[in-house]
Amino acid sequence: MDSYYLTCRSLTYAQRVSRALTAARLRNIVVRTPQELSREGCGYAVRVPDTALSDALNTLAARSLPPRKVYRVTNTGFTEEVPF
Amino acid sequence: MIYLDAAATTFQKPASVERAMTAALHTCASPGRGGHKYAMHAAEVLYGCRERAARLFNVRDVERVAVTFNATHGLNIAIRSLVRPGDRVVTSAFEHNSVVRPLHALGAEICVADCPVFDREAALSAFERLIDSETRCAVVNHVSNVFGFVLPLYEVAALCRERGVPLIVDASQSAGVLPVDAGALGADFIAMPGHKGLYGPQGTGLLIASDRARPLLYGGSGSNSKDPDMPPFLPDMLEAGTHNMPGVAGLDAGMAFVEKRGTEAILAHERSLVSLLREGLADIRGVRVFAAPDEAGQAGVLSFELDAMGSEEAGERLSQMGFAVRAGLHCSPLAHRTVGTLRRGTVRASVSAFNTREEIAAFVRAVEQISRGR
Repeated sequence: MDSYYLTCRSLTYAQRVSRALTAARLRNIVVRTPQELSREGCGYAVRVPDTALSDALNTLAARSLPPRKVYRVTNTGFTEEVPF
Repeated sequence: MIYLDAAATTFQKPASVERAMTAALHTCASPGRGGHKYAMHAAEVLYGCRERAARLFNVRDVERVAVTFNATHGLNIAIRSLVRPGDRVVTSAFEHNSVVRPLHALGAEICVADCPVFDREAALSAFERLIDSETRCAVVNHVSNVFGFVLPLYEVAALCRERGVPLIVDASQSAGVLPVDAGALGADFIAMPGHKGLYGPQGTGLLIASDRARPLLYGGSGSNSKDPDMPPFLPDMLEAGTHNMPGVAGLDAGMAFVEKRGTEAILAHERSLVSLLREGLADIRGVRVFAAPDEAGQAGVLSFELDAMGSEEAGERLSQMGFAVRAGLHCSPLAHRTVGTLRRGTVRASVSAFNTREEIAAFVRAVEQISRGR
């Protein structure tokens, strides 16, 4: 199953994003941003399952908490940026 | 030893503080420096501390809560962010050296809003006279660490907003005791220690910061690592280097204690003790007490002087009798100059949620004893 990485500018921001998603009852976890997705160096992202992406982005937009970027990662390791 | 030096450090802490610190030593690695469970647990503890502070001080955005080493650290960040050499800065007449020295080191023009102690109207009038379009920022000590004088912070904050002047608040003696409402104040910076009214350990503090913040320390932040500059966002911009996680955990537990007990209840308790102290000391011949005419004008700090001896000698005698107080200038020569006690200093007694009426009664008896030369 695909998962989506919502990259964040900081750990604290990722935690805000995670709290907002959890409050909306959306599954998520704060993780280190995989190196291939991180242009700025070390960072954190919030990972959500593909079934939750749409609701997650709507929730974050409603709370003015946009992620930096959104990436789709397949279980074969393929990654692509997803416009949002 | 009866401890009456809470204005320096609240020495008695809730048992939960020690438990939280011990647990952190065993469970918290470096937040923001890894994805393993000890790093992520530390991140949760740190975020929980920021969240609680945001709730306690009405901060809308948790990212504006930066962790510092103490209030002095936070005040240095605030002052260095706003003030350049030669800038005109208006301060209260009761500032601590944690404000005066950084301003002096920067070569700022310090304009003191002079007023008699415990005269809130005069304090506000002085700020009204001095704050103008040439003012770079204002700095207000919410509560004097020497006299317990509660300055008209909210009125000065309204004045600053009206005149478009940034405000720095030193909440060292008020955080955890008086309402410190970041939303209502609209200040650019509010600095506070963790180890006083928030009942955390020494070496902790908080700075509620605006977008005007600039880094004071440079180093690793766990974010934007490829960039040689500090990250341009809060709180990472202000938190270079590894966090004091046992301290953060202890501070969070201390704030939980304050939240549970309530600042109103803590303030009422402290004021009742100071009231008792004021009445007791006022009855002793040869003792001059510095007390507000009304309860609202003073927090849990009270200074006095004795005819019979200087403040340092009195402090030493009281220490020998089993009372911990602070004598001298309290790192606040400006406040002593304002009140006219710069030469001899004062003896300061300051209370916390853990002091009792019996302790105050015993202290009054001790002061009576030494004032009679026994």
